[in-house]
Amino acid sequence: MTDAYVIKRGTHDSEAFDPLKLHQSIVAACLSVRAFEGEAHDTAERVVRHVISWLLTKTEVTSADIRRVASSHLHTYHPEAAYLYEHHQLVA
Amino acid sequence: MAKHSYDYDLIVIGSGAGGSVAADIVAAAGKRVAIVEADMMGGQCPNWGCIPTKALLEASRVLNTARGAEAFGIRTSTTGFNYPSVKAWKDLAIKRTGAHNSAKYYQSKGIGVYHGQAHFISPHEITVNRRHLSAEQFLVATGSSWSSLNVPVSERVTLHDARSILDLPKPPKSLFIIGGGATGVEFAEIFASFGTKVYIAEEAPRLLPREDQEVSQLTEAVLAKRRGVHVLTKAKITGVSIDGISPRVEFLRGGEQHSIKADQVLVAVGKQPNVDIGLENASVDYTKRGIDVDEQLRTSTSHIYAAGDVLGQHLYTHVGVYESRIAANNLLHRQKITPNYKAVPRVTFLTPEIASVGMSEEDCLKRDLKIKTAIVPVNVIGRANVSNAMDGFVKVITDARGVLIGASIVSAHAGETIHELTLAIQHGMTAAEVANTLHAFPTWSEAVRVACAKIKV
Repeated sequence: MTDAYVIKRGTHDSEAFDPLKLHQSIVAACLSVRAFEGEAHDTAERVVRHVISWLLTKTEVTSADIRRVASSHLHTYHPEAAYLYEHHQLVA
Repeated sequence: MAKHSYDYDLIVIGSGAGGSVAADIVAAAGKRVAIVEADMMGGQCPNWGCIPTKALLEASRVLNTARGAEAFGIRTSTTGFNYPSVKAWKDLAIKRTGAHNSAKYYQSKGIGVYHGQAHFISPHEITVNRRHLSAEQFLVATGSSWSSLNVPVSERVTLHDARSILDLPKPPKSLFIIGGGATGVEFAEIFASFGTKVYIAEEAPRLLPREDQEVSQLTEAVLAKRRGVHVLTKAKITGVSIDGISPRVEFLRGGEQHSIKADQVLVAVGKQPNVDIGLENASVDYTKRGIDVDEQLRTSTSHIYAAGDVLGQHLYTHVGVYESRIAANNLLHRQKITPNYKAVPRVTFLTPEIASVGMSEEDCLKRDLKIKTAIVPVNVIGRANVSNAMDGFVKVITDARGVLIGASIVSAHAGETIHELTLAIQHGMTAAEVANTLHAFPTWSEAVRVACAKIKV
């Protein structure tokens, strides 16, 4: 597991990285492009694993970093969902 | 520079060759400077790069010289080595660099020192161990890391890189080196000298593929005949499996699948710039091959400069130091200066040493340049005779007008001799000008004069 903190957009406040939150946002992106629920959870699990691995050497990153790294891995497994994930996050 | 709205005028990320010099210069100019180091102070070169490997190479050279001393009438029948003592020598060489004490040195100069990985969170701000530091300007000098192998590797196999192999308690019985560049051949020389059965595999048709062909041919011959190294060129690694408790390296060569079991495997397939520091948050353009900079070493974000290996261009300590000086000038002054890479010397510390500068013949052919070349074996000069070191040559390359544009030397002390040609190339001298300069007899440099004299315009 990682002890990294995430700085929220537009602030200097940070909170502990929450893998569940990332998992849910990726599942939501996958479901929005009509992926099966099981597939969405599998994809999210893989992406979260990559992000956790990337965070192992980090103490603090920005939410934009999490979005970028998650998105690049999501692109490998589900390009359509990655597109939606990137753009949804930008307007959210 | 400063309006004191930032914590520092300059934050240097990385305390190695690319960062340390600039930190020193800018602090000496009265600016508020901090330096951030994620690993050991001083970075790669003094701790796990040039210094420890060259210390081990020097130990292996002394051993080989002693073994060959009979030719000079000197009896050395009891020549041997104690590897823990060899490692102690290597550690002494590291200690003498003073890198481990550099934090104190920086602090004495008023430079703030932070240990931890820096990560940009905005264009003027980084986080180090969750501490936020801001600066008006930055210099990114995060260096490079050894590239990993991009083929399937058994989870039960531990592969070494050029850092971890330095810590082996004793030379392995057998070592498979993946990568026939400068790092690979230097470790082949070290471990073969200490009795290890060494295999070295290179995907290109020859070792040291960036050097002139003659350099590669001689290197292969010397490593194979003198050190007993098994040279496997045109070998494409396909995977590393486990065989009992030892790794087995699988590779394609000559259209056939082969495999070799070895006690240890060293991966020396090159280096990659350390760019994973949140550069996106500072709008700094980069690729996995390095940070993009303009001719003043400024990144796409004008207050952030970069120097050293992280640029991905010339991964040498001396280039890092050179770029760091240039970055320091450009950080401080309106009058900007630009680096000149026309004459970058490169040295591979084998016996005999290999040194080159400027363009190789292959570079010239690719650019369709009209060139003249001359090559002289070192055995024609007096110094080779009295040193009983006949292997080697000097090769010079000039343009059609006889202006020196490249050179390669394979001989004892080539790393020193190359600087005469480096100076000549840097200042646009002709081969005739070098040839007409007096060279003392009997010195290795005489071969440079003879080679230059062979160029006819």
